[in-house]
Amino acid sequence: MRHPNQATLALHAGGDLGPFARWFTSRHLARCESCREEVAAFDEVRQSLPGLAEIPDLPWNRLAAEIKANVRLGLAAGECVRSADPPLRQSAFINRGRALVAFACAIVLVVTGMFLERPAPTAMLVEGPLVQNTQYGIEVKAGGQTLGLTNSGVQRVTYSLDAQGSMGARYVDPETGAVTINTVYVQ
Amino acid sequence: MFNNLQTRLWLLGLLGAACLMAQDAALPNCSVSVDVPNDAPVLLLGISNAPCSATAYGAALMLNLHLSLTLKNTGVNRIHGVTLRVVSQEVALGGVGSVYQPSLNVGPGEAFPVHIDTQLMRPTPITGGPAVQVHLDGVLFQDLSFYGPDRLHSRRIMTAGEMEAQRDRDYLKRLLAEQGLPALRQAMLRIQARQDSVPRLQGRVVRGHTVTTAGLAAAAPEREAQFAFLQFPDSPVEPVQGSLLIAGNEARMPVIDVRNRSGKAVKYVELGWVLTDPAGHDYMAGSMPSTDANFSLAPGSTARVRQDSTLGFSTGGQPVSIQKMTGFVTQVEFADGKVWVPSRQNLEKPPLAKVLAPSIEEERLASLYVRKGVDAVVEELKKF
Repeated sequence: MRHPNQATLALHAGGDLGPFARWFTSRHLARCESCREEVAAFDEVRQSLPGLAEIPDLPWNRLAAEIKANVRLGLAAGECVRSADPPLRQSAFINRGRALVAFACAIVLVVTGMFLERPAPTAMLVEGPLVQNTQYGIEVKAGGQTLGLTNSGVQRVTYSLDAQGSMGARYVDPETGAVTINTVYVQ
Repeated sequence: MFNNLQTRLWLLGLLGAACLMAQDAALPNCSVSVDVPNDAPVLLLGISNAPCSATAYGAALMLNLHLSLTLKNTGVNRIHGVTLRVVSQEVALGGVGSVYQPSLNVGPGEAFPVHIDTQLMRPTPITGGPAVQVHLDGVLFQDLSFYGPDRLHSRRIMTAGEMEAQRDRDYLKRLLAEQGLPALRQAMLRIQARQDSVPRLQGRVVRGHTVTTAGLAAAAPEREAQFAFLQFPDSPVEPVQGSLLIAGNEARMPVIDVRNRSGKAVKYVELGWVLTDPAGHDYMAGSMPSTDANFSLAPGSTARVRQDSTLGFSTGGQPVSIQKMTGFVTQVEFADGKVWVPSRQNLEKPPLAKVLAPSIEEERLASLYVRKGVDAVVEELKKF
């Protein structure tokens, strides 16, 4: 017999299944005692939940009075430390000065940003062709074009570098024992 | 509604297939031309060209070609090495590749395969002409005689490789004769252990000066450093002094003065570099050849070897800062074409013993030992 899963039984206990699923599950429960026990257990837990959700009585009025008193105390303290200087005059000259300072700051910000993120390539800057080893073998690269010699899937490869501008890869084919030395050159 | 859903699924499938086809599709132009001169001591018997594939990377197209050539020895000497030059007219102007098969032992009339796996990348689809051209650059025989146009200095490279192979085979033969099979087996195991333990660097070389993100990230001011040198008593050439500019994980403008202490004129010198990082770890970094066509070192004279290039080093994707560079002579070619390579005793000196990978002949024999056992190694040594 195929039993409904735990989630289905839990939803059935809470009356949250759709009409078809509820009918199907009820049919199963009529024949299956173990699932009935599961549903009964879910139902028991469900009925005990409201009791768990209750929280003890709190003295809300007293808490509200304490919070209000603290706010008033803060406002009073603020009044005590406030400076006695008169506010700045709202003149056209001062407003224009503020605008100039803000504009100058914006210019400085833009220039600094351009300096830090100037449109220079961060990748490799290379003059002339290069040779290098790769995951699969060795290659000579020039102007976006590549000529490579690969190692036929051989794992144990010994690479050698030559300051003249060549690179070698030598290996022994583990199946045939044939020896190969591949080299790429910059010419 | 069901029909509508089905139609949408079909459309989605078609779009997916179209995307896949756009990403990875066979190209019509995967043609290869192989140039073997008529008077060459090898004959091209056939080319097996596996289906090539093209993969789009943004606006660029990557072409993968897997070739297998079958060559036949039509000469009278045994062939010990072959080098093929791999070029693409359309791709990587200024660059060229080579495939060198050393440690061959091909008798007259015998055939042998050469595999070439190449990768081309260019911004637009390749049109017209063969994608890859393969030219025979050199054939080395058992007696160290040579045939070929030698455009990539294959004669010197293959001769040095063959001399190293002979040196290591002679050592193993001596070991077998004096101490028997257990000693040979131990030697094979030591080679394998060394293969696994050698610290490996990734590198790149740019001709001229370069500024890289890694170099900038290292944020180290450029400084001039002096080379330290390992001297080999039997070397015909000795390094006298040298310097290079170091910034973070990049080294450039290496200059080394060398002196010819032999009685013969020298036309080529190559020096190896061992890099030491600030933590004291040593790595085999590379080599520095004297590539000037006019380079000549008369007996007793001193000459300067320099390269205008920048080398960058990393390991596991992390830049390796350069604290010190140590140089040593790895190859000398005399004016008469004879080549000197260091002895095994020289290469066993610290720190070389720790940083140098086994020679390619040692690796080949160790691979044979793994596949077929020590008896197969004995049989192989007898063939040479």
